[in-house]
Amino acid sequence: MVKIENLNKFYEIDGQKQYVLNAINLNIQKGECVILKGVSGSGKTTLLSIIAGLDKPSSGKVLVDGEPISKLPDMHLSSFRAQKIGIVFQNFNLLDGVSLADNAMVPLIASGIGLKEAKLKAQDALKLANIDHKANKTPIELSGGEKQRGAIARALVANPNLILCDEPTANLDRANSLSFIQTLKELHNMGKTIIVATHDSLFEELDFEHRVVEISQGSLVGRG
Amino acid sequence: MRNNSFFYFLTLNLLKEKRRFVGIVLISTLLIFLLSSVLFISSSIKHTLNQTLIAQPDFIVQNIKGGRVSPIKDEQVDKIVDIFGVKKVTKRVYGRYFFDDKYSALIIGVDFLDEQSNKKLAKIMDSVDLKSFLSKDNMLVGQGVLNYLKSHYYTSNYNFLTPSGQMQKVNIFKALNVKSSLLSNDIIVMPLELAQKVLGLKENELTDIALNVPNDSEWANIKAKLESLNFSTRVVTKKDMKKAYENLFNYKGGLFLVLYLIVIATFSLLLYLRYSLASSLERKEIAILRAVGWSIKDVLKLKFLENIFLVIFAFVLGSSLAYIYVFILGAPLLKDIFLGGANLKQFTTFTPVVDYSVLSTIFIVFAVAFLGSVLIPVWKIAVTEPKEAL
Repeated sequence: MVKIENLNKFYEIDGQKQYVLNAINLNIQKGECVILKGVSGSGKTTLLSIIAGLDKPSSGKVLVDGEPISKLPDMHLSSFRAQKIGIVFQNFNLLDGVSLADNAMVPLIASGIGLKEAKLKAQDALKLANIDHKANKTPIELSGGEKQRGAIARALVANPNLILCDEPTANLDRANSLSFIQTLKELHNMGKTIIVATHDSLFEELDFEHRVVEISQGSLVGRG
Repeated sequence: MRNNSFFYFLTLNLLKEKRRFVGIVLISTLLIFLLSSVLFISSSIKHTLNQTLIAQPDFIVQNIKGGRVSPIKDEQVDKIVDIFGVKKVTKRVYGRYFFDDKYSALIIGVDFLDEQSNKKLAKIMDSVDLKSFLSKDNMLVGQGVLNYLKSHYYTSNYNFLTPSGQMQKVNIFKALNVKSSLLSNDIIVMPLELAQKVLGLKENELTDIALNVPNDSEWANIKAKLESLNFSTRVVTKKDMKKAYENLFNYKGGLFLVLYLIVIATFSLLLYLRYSLASSLERKEIAILRAVGWSIKDVLKLKFLENIFLVIFAFVLGSSLAYIYVFILGAPLLKDIFLGGANLKQFTTFTPVVDYSVLSTIFIVFAVAFLGSVLIPVWKIAVTEPKEAL
């Protein structure tokens, strides 16, 4: 599903290369759940962003579902992201002033889908994320856990095969974090490929099949 | 319609940002309103003046004495009639009469027995009973003159003070047609002989002589012949008059146009700065859209439609308000700037004339400036990697 070959990401400061990611090689199979573990600043969010096509690598190759995501032109990349990748952000990143149902619809809009169909799909996604009872609430009216469920609904609305989660429990209490992990388990059981970047210890002992990949100072420590 | 979800989201966005958009729409509406008002006024004045020029004679022959216009002898009429190609030679007597320091009116003497003069004045005189009008010393007055005389308790007649110091009593016969108020507001029409007395002209003296030359390729020839009649003859053509009118009103319209273009440019610059310095929240919103699968083109399409809606709304509202302000309310304040109004106090309406080509130019200039100043910064944000704003 995801194949990363010799990936580097660096910034040049005063002619010196500052590596954020250094010679990353990683293979993630379809239906696998991978936990990218590392302390803050280790480069896991950058890696996730590159896999999502939100950032570009300095060198190396990233294939997502066989597509060289960092090389795709904007139109193709956007369409690919809308259909194949669902992203759950640390800060939820829901649009303010818009209801949860409408927020969940946003990824479908650019693909030119009809309003009725988009609303039905959004409703299904909210049900799947167990937040359909708050469909008409705007983000400001929701708790952190509810916002996170809204963000999951938005990530699932286009039925993508790859779910990327960036520090998904960083702003949640323990109960909500456990609830989120339960949702991940359900998605895993549905056959979705999941990559979670986190430093939350709750992800160390998951009760479903998963792989932990540790990242430290931009390099993979464990098995790639 | 497959794309109706996009328009649904567009509507949501407009409603969500309504507070911000109301401010932008109000300023835009005000700009369009002012610009369109100036345009409507200048178009209306131009139209009215062009209509006036159509009724004007092709040539006016005057007598110059000591460098200024002085009465011309009526014997010149016979000489002019003899020039081949000249038609409709008319004796004209007119002059400005000052009632006091501030108010004056234009006295026009008309040879009512001359059929041609009657035709020219038919529009503003409507249905005048000539027989009873000519039976006494009567005059027809514009609305402005009538109101001035009434305010000074002259309801049936007025005693004009002639240059020789004598009083000349003239009855107020009727007010002129209000529809042509720009033309007739401050005029007094009276028989030629009576006008000569009031203005202090002798029986054989005229203010000027008007004539037409149907073949306009002969104008230069005829002008030369007229000027050779007498060394003191001055010839004014209709083209000269048109140029004088245009110089007067185009200068004012142009001045306003330049001023408002400067204002639009300033407004666009402010919009540009406002979007360039977009809040982190707005940058984040664009980044979220990009992150969930919107392309740069989709984001620009959303912002374009959002802002073209605002532009069209502001334009329709602004130009409609301008139409009401100018053609229904008579453009208070601006009217005085354009017409300079001491003598036009009673002037009420502009003839509704809309120059669509200029109106559409204003729309295009405004829309391009507005959209450019919004979309360029939005494009700059949209092309940035979404990760940076998330």
